[in-house]
Amino acid sequence: MEIKQSSSPTSFIDSTVVPGDVVLDLSSMTNQTIKLGGGLRQDCDAISAMKAGTLRFSKPNKYWIESSQKRYVPCVEDTVLGIVVDSKADNFLIDIKGPALAFLPVLAFEGGTRRNIPKFEVGTLLYLRVVKANFGMNPELSCTDASGKAAEFGPLKDGYMFETSTGLSRKLLSSPTCPVLEALGKKLSFEIAVGLNGRVWVNAASPDTIVVAANAIMNSESLSTAQQIIMVEHLLKNIQ
Amino acid sequence: MDVRLANTWRLTLNEKNFIKSALLTEIRIDGRKPFEFRNIIISLGREDGSAEVQLGQTRIMSIVTAKFVQPYRDRPNEGTLSIYTEFSPMADPSFEAGRPGESAVELGRIVDRGLRESRAVDTESLCIVAGKLAWAIRIDIHILDNGGNLIDAANMAALAALMTFRRPECSLGGEDGQEVIVHPLEMRDPVPLIIHHLPIAITFGFFDESLMVIDPTHNEEAVMAGRMIATVNANGDICAIQKAGGEGVSQRVIMQCLQLATTKAADITKQIKSVVEAYNKESALQKINREPTCVGTNVKEGQDQTLDNKGITELVGKYMERLKLISGESYLSQNINDDFETKSLGRGTDSHGIKFNSTPLSWDPYSKGVDPEFLKASVASQGLSSANEEKEWRGEEKPSEAERPGTYEDVNPKSSAVDAPRIEMQMIGPKKLKDAVKPKNKRKKKASSVI
Repeated sequence: MEIKQSSSPTSFIDSTVVPGDVVLDLSSMTNQTIKLGGGLRQDCDAISAMKAGTLRFSKPNKYWIESSQKRYVPCVEDTVLGIVVDSKADNFLIDIKGPALAFLPVLAFEGGTRRNIPKFEVGTLLYLRVVKANFGMNPELSCTDASGKAAEFGPLKDGYMFETSTGLSRKLLSSPTCPVLEALGKKLSFEIAVGLNGRVWVNAASPDTIVVAANAIMNSESLSTAQQIIMVEHLLKNIQ
Repeated sequence: MDVRLANTWRLTLNEKNFIKSALLTEIRIDGRKPFEFRNIIISLGREDGSAEVQLGQTRIMSIVTAKFVQPYRDRPNEGTLSIYTEFSPMADPSFEAGRPGESAVELGRIVDRGLRESRAVDTESLCIVAGKLAWAIRIDIHILDNGGNLIDAANMAALAALMTFRRPECSLGGEDGQEVIVHPLEMRDPVPLIIHHLPIAITFGFFDESLMVIDPTHNEEAVMAGRMIATVNANGDICAIQKAGGEGVSQRVIMQCLQLATTKAADITKQIKSVVEAYNKESALQKINREPTCVGTNVKEGQDQTLDNKGITELVGKYMERLKLISGESYLSQNINDDFETKSLGRGTDSHGIKFNSTPLSWDPYSKGVDPEFLKASVASQGLSSANEEKEWRGEEKPSEAERPGTYEDVNPKSSAVDAPRIEMQMIGPKKLKDAVKPKNKRKKKASSVI
């Protein structure tokens, strides 16, 4: 009995779940604290899935569901690329491809005070971190890391931004480097910023490098590792 | 307001600047050269008159339908052609459901103008009864995905759909000849529209500093300062030009655009035609495959089928009869008009002639139209009892001498007697061009009668 219960959560990890699946039973793991990510919700003792995708688990206690979609659902601690839509007295309004515009408090910068509020033109691209993502509220963003340092957050200058699915942007960030990026990086030098909301920014010295890199990344979504490498080689051959 | 702000698509400053700066070095964000089209994929639907065009990210579906309407007063013998556009919010969040927006109206108008003003579709052939009944062709254009350059794609989709569209054949029938018979598709092959040429819309986008691109994408459309749409066909005829506000364009640039457009239009025309041809071939093959099976089932199940089937076979039988009659009739009238002598010869020797004669008059409304000439012929044959004529005739055609009077009574025993006065009227009345070039023997006849 006990074996069965403890094995049930592991059986769901890395497998496809659909909305309504009960993926965890809290009654069997009373002495643990767990953290829930996107796509999961708690009903008393049952943790159930709210969207279709793959259930992921990261040690020691994080659970979330991964899926690939065009629309981004904000989630705390995600890094995203946002576009400034409007600026108000207290907040910048930022488009992060979510269901609602996100707020970026004017003081959420390193050493931010009332005196040194930055000025952003409408249409500026920013690299940001999601701080709050609650139901019924606009998500809140920040331009600093958890310790209040600027890190790499802030406005991105020049370069080219394009949109992908959330699944592809997650792949680009995965820990053994994504084969497209690896193959491209061998031949070309470019800068890249990936937001989990499916936005990718690329910058390089010459425009044709940017175009090649951007198109290679966009085309790589449905290709296997070997195919991705072949595709990149083919593209690079064309350019030279 | 907040939701709407969140749903609108917007371009970053980075993208705007990059598109412009890359264009200076003749590079576009999708790796194209400035005067290069995106890949065009045209797929035709399973049913006639539907097409889907993919131009890069852009996807457009178009469907052609037809119905009967009364033609417009000022053009009583022309059918109509109308275009309806549907910009679904699914294609682009900036499209609003319901009332067509500015771009939807513009797109419809441009496609419409290209087709109508250049008279690409023969609307006169769509008329059935002048002033009363004509086909109204309706083209529905649905935007499925907006990736830029909707106009070119919509135009292509409309053309592909028009080229595969088939309307059921119609003919006039009934007792008074005013009844319109719409032949079901199974009975007669539906007829395609008559399309004289394909007007292809080509969009040019202008950026400041006299940069120009062809087939702009969604992003480029958001950045560019102005655009021009030239509708041309493969022969190099300019069917329409649309240049809305924005960047001014010099005459030299316009001429360059038109030249480019002509070459592109030739390519696209070729592509559309090859796709349509493949489709036609396939549907013809399918028809061949279908027919034998159809007959087979009829034969097999003929006995245990219900009334319905019987009804159908009866219908088919009638229909076939009618077809025969029509062909017979037309054959007859043609003969009379063109070649009086040979016909009478044939008649005399052939028993077929009689079979033809007896039926058409009693049945077909068209025979009324044929009547005068028909009667003229009969009058001529009876010669209004002119001995002189008889002699002439006899001299010319020896073999059928004996039978001739009999056969002509066969042709129209009733009408020749009843319509005698009318015949005379016809003879006296103004001569038509046809009369002027009547066969030699007739001319001789007249001359002799005058003498």
